[in-house]
Amino acid sequence: MPRRAVIAAGLLLALGLLPTHAAEPEKLSLTRVQDLHYGDVLFTTFVGNDFEALTRLESYTQWKLMPHHQGEAALLAGGLYLQLGMHNEAGRRFESLLTADVPASVKSRAWFYLARVWYARGYHDRALQALSRIEGALEPAEAAERVHLQANALMHLERHDEAITLLGGWKSSSSWLQYARFNLGVALVRSDRLADGARWLDAVGSIQTADEELLALKDKANLALGFAWLQAGQAESAMPMLMRVRLNGPQSSRALLGLGWALAATGRNEEALSPWLELHDRNLLDAAVQEAYLAVPYAFAQLGAHGQAAEYYEAALESFATERGNIDTAIARIREGSLMRQLVGAEDAVSPQRGWFWQLTELPDAPESRYLYPILAGHDFQEGLKNYRDLAYLGSTLSRWDENMAVYGDMIDTRETAYGERIPRVDGLLSSDALAATEASRKQVEGRFNDIVNLQDVAALGTPEQRAQWQRVLQIEAGLAAAPDDEGTAAAREKLELVKGVLYWDLHQAFRERLYQQRRALRELDKALTEANTRWLRVQQARATAPVTTGDYADRIDTLTQRLATLRTRLGAAAEAQQNLLADIAVHELEAQRQRLADYEIQARFSLAAIYDRAAEAPAGQGGP
Amino acid sequence: MLWLAAGLVVAAASGAAASSHRLTGQSAPDFALKATSGTNFRLSEYRGEVVLLTFWGSRCGQCPAQLSAVSRLVDTYGAAGLAALAVNVDDDQLAAAEFAVAHPVSFPVLLDPDKAVAKAYRVDNLPMLLLIDRAGIVRHVHRDHRSGDDKAWLARIRQLLDE
Amino acid sequence: MKRITSLGLPLLAALACMAGSVLAADAAGADAPPDTRALDEEIQAIKKDVVDLNRDLFILEEELLFPANTQVAVFLSMDVGDFFALDTVELRVDDKQVAKHLYTPREAEALLKGGVQRLYLGNLRVGEHELVALFTGKGPQGQDYSRGAQVRFEKSVGAKYLELKISDRQSRRQPEFVIRDWE
Repeated sequence: MPRRAVIAAGLLLALGLLPTHAAEPEKLSLTRVQDLHYGDVLFTTFVGNDFEALTRLESYTQWKLMPHHQGEAALLAGGLYLQLGMHNEAGRRFESLLTADVPASVKSRAWFYLARVWYARGYHDRALQALSRIEGALEPAEAAERVHLQANALMHLERHDEAITLLGGWKSSSSWLQYARFNLGVALVRSDRLADGARWLDAVGSIQTADEELLALKDKANLALGFAWLQAGQAESAMPMLMRVRLNGPQSSRALLGLGWALAATGRNEEALSPWLELHDRNLLDAAVQEAYLAVPYAFAQLGAHGQAAEYYEAALESFATERGNIDTAIARIREGSLMRQLVGAEDAVSPQRGWFWQLTELPDAPESRYLYPILAGHDFQEGLKNYRDLAYLGSTLSRWDENMAVYGDMIDTRETAYGERIPRVDGLLSSDALAATEASRKQVEGRFNDIVNLQDVAALGTPEQRAQWQRVLQIEAGLAAAPDDEGTAAAREKLELVKGVLYWDLHQAFRERLYQQRRALRELDKALTEANTRWLRVQQARATAPVTTGDYADRIDTLTQRLATLRTRLGAAAEAQQNLLADIAVHELEAQRQRLADYEIQARFSLAAIYDRAAEAPAGQGGP
Repeated sequence: MLWLAAGLVVAAASGAAASSHRLTGQSAPDFALKATSGTNFRLSEYRGEVVLLTFWGSRCGQCPAQLSAVSRLVDTYGAAGLAALAVNVDDDQLAAAEFAVAHPVSFPVLLDPDKAVAKAYRVDNLPMLLLIDRAGIVRHVHRDHRSGDDKAWLARIRQLLDE
Repeated sequence: MKRITSLGLPLLAALACMAGSVLAADAAGADAPPDTRALDEEIQAIKKDVVDLNRDLFILEEELLFPANTQVAVFLSMDVGDFFALDTVELRVDDKQVAKHLYTPREAEALLKGGVQRLYLGNLRVGEHELVALFTGKGPQGQDYSRGAQVRFEKSVGAKYLELKISDRQSRRQPEFVIRDWE
């Protein structure tokens, strides 16, 4: 986990997506995050939750929440796909992304990381293609690794001469150089250019270093060179190389074996016994030790000590047979899938098909399954293991969703009921003229009000009685106006004048107050209408964003639930297949070991038989079983 | 497979006091707590490792022995991906801190005075130990601690480390 | 591995085998190891499908639980020059605690690198609300630090985003909360 975070940071830095720290002792410059949600994706990535980061990145992209970071977001997605082992998808993203808009250095680094992953997964040709897309210079450390990567890929593809050309002219001070030299040496030897290859291997084999990793490489180089000479029949040249290999290092067994052969090849059989006997005391699981079990009696036989030779052959046969039996059992158990149960001795019924791949080197008390040690460290196995763990993680993620789906289903049902009641009402309201009608009324009222103000129509604001009286007064006035001008009429007109005056006076007095009241009422009406309008809009908007029917959500939930189920089945099948593949790798290796033992047994039997024959032919007193 | 198995109803294994618990087979609830060292720790940051999560109190007699046992396991298997977190549920954080000083262990000792995490994990016994796998699922729960229990855990731990 | 067929051949024949393995170095070794590529491709395809599905589920969940009309999201970011170790952040909306987060070293670092944490996601009714935020941490000299901030904001239709930034731009070495409304 921590390692992943480091890689993630490295990747982001390489992709130019991290803020660079200014050399000046100022504050860190503000990052260029302009969309909060992009910042959220960055945060999630920095914390190490790659899968969650990718989920959010894709979701926010779909919701268009990161408009200022489209290019960066797409690059980051590519990087995350890479991190999560989906190099096909990453490759697709990078390819479509790396247009002229992006700086060349970013492009180059993206291709470099992609090449690295493809190489690790065994797609050497694709790795080379990616490397060829790098333009311009990389950082020095990356540039060195790039050459190393390219050379290795070429060698895997048996294009040795190109590798030779590439590495031959490379000057560097990094440790990558040593690895490259080693690979070049090996490549040359395999191309039957021993003298050339020897030069390179010798260079690596004579480095002065205290670095543990480089010391191991140095051992490998000397070992390879020694064996190369041996195979070429030049035992004398082989010896000094093999003697350079550390006695307590990981290559010591094979070096001892080779040294013995070098000595034997030059007729120094007695001296050859020395390294071989040393080997004979070591763990029989080591292939070199197994061969020593035969080499020792061979030497004795060469020296004429047939009795001892026979003893050693017999002991070898016994040991080999036992060992072969153990391997057979291990193979059977792996095939059964029950090696795990045996290892841990648990009766836990939870899935017998558990992984048995175990970091044995990390444990002080390794169980018998250390047969598998050589392959556990192997590349194919490690990649397969990574896949298996990834699948398990993804599976548990999907499980969590499964639980949620049921809850969402319930939520939808509840909402459906609620919506079922409300939506028709809301729709009814929205489609009605209610608001428009109210607005129309208001306009009318305002118009009327303005008229009253303009005309100073005091009567209009009177109480109902006053308005009635006023009407009456006006009526009578009109009637009196039409009547003949006599005394009676004049008196009536006078009286009316009085009444009208009083009435008018009352109305007028109250007018201003009433006007003010009316105005206020109107204003309040306005306010209410504005609020109603806003609310109307909100309801409209909410209605628009609500699913057309809640059936929409229900459909989505159904579809997703189905996809979940299908995917979980596929995941299960893939995990199973991966497990089987890992088992196959292990069994393959074990069978190879078994075969070697069987071959050795045959060899031992022949040799032993020859000794007995010889003893039988010999005159009595000489040699003997 | 892992998730199928989690869904299956599995009888509790024989042997040491592995008991059934509502969280077995479920995702371990995430949380963050402050350790006696002052640093905060979050469970989800341990994803990818096998986690021994143990709840303890300074007044629980079996707890010191369990914490030592867990510490030994972490020393041995740490490099292979085993981690541990001890959550103390005392009201009095001082007692917890003193205990931590008196019994140093090689993993964080976290303080949960509000008992919010203990509640989320339905701790009904002290000590209570949960084994959480690399994907964050609770796989085994042990209540109490008797000498030799760590041997029983060892088997399960190695199984989980295998994954 | 080559078969040793007879006694006559010295074990140097076996040697050839050993040499072969020694000189195999990094190369793909023995005869016909199991082919991992086909399965690898299938696994990649499955992983991609899981990513897609996870995205769709995430989208469904948030649309369902936090529809835009009522959604409120509060983000936390940091912009501090001197070393400041963030410890906790607490959020209260309308006098109710809605978030309390303890920061691990990894999370604090993620913020310092420019990450923005979505601290709170919730639903609020349209109208005016009050947000109160508090943070604690340790300053460059190890001194305890505690600051708060408060803001009233208006929730209308449409998702609401607020950013809490812990910043020391105003006064050097004195981190403060700066609240920004993004809508």
